[in-house]
Amino acid sequence: MTKMTKTSEQDLDIVSEMNMAQSSRRNFFRKAAVYSASAVAATSILSPVKLSAEDDSAIIHHKKWGTTLGDPVTKNHYGIPSPYEHNNTRRTTALLASGDNYASISMCPIHEQEGIITPNGLFFNRSHGGVAHVDPKDYRLMIHGLLEKPLLLTLDELKRYPSVTRIHFIECPANGGPEWRGPQFNSIQFAKGMMSSAEWTGVLIKDLIADLGLKKEALWMLAEGCDNSEMGRTVPVEKVLDDAMIVWAQNGEALRPEQGYPVRLMLPGWEGNLQVKWLKRLEFSKEPFYAKEETAKYTVLTPSGKAIQHFYPLEVNSIITSPCPEKPWTDLKKGDLVEIQGLAWSGQGTIKHVDITFDGGVNWKEVSLKGLVLPKSWTRFSYMYRYEGKPLLLASRAVDDSGHVQPTIDQETAVVGVEAVYHRNSICTWEVTDKGVVNNVHVRS
Amino acid sequence: MFMLDHKKIISTAMIASAIFFGTAHAGEQAIDGGAIYKVKDGMYTSYAVNTQDKKDFKYGKVPSKTEIAAWDIDVMPDGTGLPEGKGSVERGDELYEVKCGMCHGDFGSGGQGSRSTYPTLSVGSASTETLTNQRNVPDADGPKRAIGTYWPQASTLFWYIQSGMPFPHPKSLSNDDTYALVAYILSINEIEIDGETLDDEYVLDREKFLKIKMPNVDGFIPNIDGPEGPANVKKFLNDPKNYGNGTRCMKDCIDPKVNIVRIKVEINAFEPPMSVERTMKEEKVTGKVHPGQKLYEASCSVCHATDAMGAPNLGNKDAWASVLEKGIDKVYANGINGINAMPPKGGAIDLTEAQFKSAVDYMIKNSK
Ligand code: HEC
Ligand code: HEC
Repeated sequence: MTKMTKTSEQDLDIVSEMNMAQSSRRNFFRKAAVYSASAVAATSILSPVKLSAEDDSAIIHHKKWGTTLGDPVTKNHYGIPSPYEHNNTRRTTALLASGDNYASISMCPIHEQEGIITPNGLFFNRSHGGVAHVDPKDYRLMIHGLLEKPLLLTLDELKRYPSVTRIHFIECPANGGPEWRGPQFNSIQFAKGMMSSAEWTGVLIKDLIADLGLKKEALWMLAEGCDNSEMGRTVPVEKVLDDAMIVWAQNGEALRPEQGYPVRLMLPGWEGNLQVKWLKRLEFSKEPFYAKEETAKYTVLTPSGKAIQHFYPLEVNSIITSPCPEKPWTDLKKGDLVEIQGLAWSGQGTIKHVDITFDGGVNWKEVSLKGLVLPKSWTRFSYMYRYEGKPLLLASRAVDDSGHVQPTIDQETAVVGVEAVYHRNSICTWEVTDKGVVNNVHVRS
Repeated sequence: MFMLDHKKIISTAMIASAIFFGTAHAGEQAIDGGAIYKVKDGMYTSYAVNTQDKKDFKYGKVPSKTEIAAWDIDVMPDGTGLPEGKGSVERGDELYEVKCGMCHGDFGSGGQGSRSTYPTLSVGSASTETLTNQRNVPDADGPKRAIGTYWPQASTLFWYIQSGMPFPHPKSLSNDDTYALVAYILSINEIEIDGETLDDEYVLDREKFLKIKMPNVDGFIPNIDGPEGPANVKKFLNDPKNYGNGTRCMKDCIDPKVNIVRIKVEINAFEPPMSVERTMKEEKVTGKVHPGQKLYEASCSVCHATDAMGAPNLGNKDAWASVLEKGIDKVYANGINGINAMPPKGGAIDLTEAQFKSAVDYMIKNSK
């Protein structure tokens, strides 16, 4: 960039003086322009004189946004989506509330999701006592228990630690949980929208506690929030010393209140409920804590009457996002080449393969992964399909690098029954009708 | 660890990846049954990492004993963190009526909230026998999961009630009141302590609390207690037979006459309604927002949105007309001091009187 010198400043002054002198002349032209604009009645003056019926009026006629000024840069100092996008939004339903709208969940519109990063305002939102609004000045993180040296940090102090940035999904283990006994929602947002993904920034807990002298007997860590519900969960120390993080940023900005502003726990690949929001306290101990959300809830009752507790990871999973009930193929013509797209993810590793079926799971073919293929992250898959206008039973199946394969409904329910509530990762099938309408169905043998 | 369905896989690419599977778990197992990734040549999987020394930070301070005690209020199964105190079932019943019943219903049967039912605190039984029920066929009874039939530890109940309840105003119960509420909830769940049933006169204290054995204490797998706890979890999660795994079959995997189960009763009452249209939203003519509206939504709507809890609800002309018969000043005073199931200031003790009154005004204005 060239520096503005004295002379160029003077040049500017001269230019502005000239502008003054010309302004009366300009006013004349301005009026004339207004008259001629109305005279051509918004039809492009560049367009051919003769219009035919096939000509697209979106092209032939000038548009308001091309013929008037847009917003000044002073509008919306914090940007918001186009008003035309207002239907791309979180949604709720009474079925998924425990009484009222404070211990409840709002679902992510994954039918509108592009790529593997969810915009912050669309991230699914689950809380047990409302979304807390924590004053960062009064925020404290306490680390205590079986350590040589307990520690108390302010937010600014916490953010001084060396940061890492990672892309991970967060999924509520109840995602798909209303459908153990059969499909209920003709909507991908409600069938699978208890998940979202972001790029998280924070500190690895192993770096944070490296100086604190963690004792050998410490096997567990309680993570507790400072919100109304003061939700807590027990985490095994092995995870704490592996990839667990304390994060303060989401997609490049501070966490949203719905995601635990100012600080939450991040346990890559594990139950959303474990990734405690509004994090206040970490206590290291010899024995587990038996919090409400790891006993009364988030335990998987099996047909034997025994319930699986401490079921941390979200198992390998996938779903076709295009087409889906909200985004059907009703506009396609026979012979159109169309991209089948979807998301695959695993809390136990990295996506290795995705296969899709057109016949409900009789035959499968491997499809391409696309974009970033990262551990414990959403991964996109893609397949080019020649639309034939015939009925299909369309489904995807993911395989991860720890050797886990997404099960069929029969395979999964044979082991855990239908009363598990949580951890449903069986194959999701869309029935595509000859008209291109897409319905949520279950395929059983 | 477990075998892929090799017979059905033909392409060489897949055989190559099968070899990879064979080594994913070599040597080391992750506690969650997943893959383990290590930093190698400055890379952690696809991420480059800073491998410089990250030690000797001097930030923060050592919390004082008082500070730790103020926050460390969790209660563990062995009694760690359980305070001294006592309370009777009868006292618990009284407290429950005033502070809990409007949501959790009579005898913990679950009450109607503004959107759905509040959690059931008792199914009137401490029997675990329904836990094997599976609703595989229509009209089958499901398992009954409530405190008495499902919760493994009573410590959870004390800890959760004192830190999380009553829902609109948690962390407001004394140790004695919490003992009383726990005693009452155990009694309606038909729990016995040391062979004794919990009648009205029963007084629960720390010593008796530590003798509680919940009926479903052995109902959970794997065993997480003791020095082998984490190792048990690791063993369990490293065997996907415990929770279901698929097979990577590629051809003729199931009978081609597939059984398609369609939606029987569709749930589509979504807010906002489902739409993928890209149109301008119709602007509602919004008048001036009442200053009490936000306060109402934040602190009062939880009880006043419907009449389910016996509160005069927003928009209910008759209910508010009869409340107002005693004169507005008395109504303000009742609200500020609390009346029956209405806690003082609705539990929002931080509101100034002026703020509280403006929330009342908002409700009255919208109930004419
Ligand atoms: C305004 C309504 C409301 C009031 C009043 C209320 N609760 Fe709750 N309670 C809830 C909600 C909502 C939940 C579920 C929270 C969640 O999903 O995490 C709950 C959960 C519970 C649970 C856990 C139930 C389970 O099975 O998971 C217990 C125990 C409980 N409340 C006890 C009490 C007690 C004792 C009181 C009175 C001191 C009380 N509640 C007052 C709304 C209320
Ligand atoms: C925990 C539930 C709950 C909450 C939260 C709550 N209320 Fe109430 N409120 C009630 C109930 C129940 C009654 C009916 C009491 C009765 O007369 O038996 C009531 C009654 C009232 C009355 C009528 C008093 C009278 O004279 O009859 C007013 C005014 C009132 N509430 C205002 C508020 C305001 C303002 C808020 C929020 C700041 C609020 N309430 C929050 C439960 C609640």
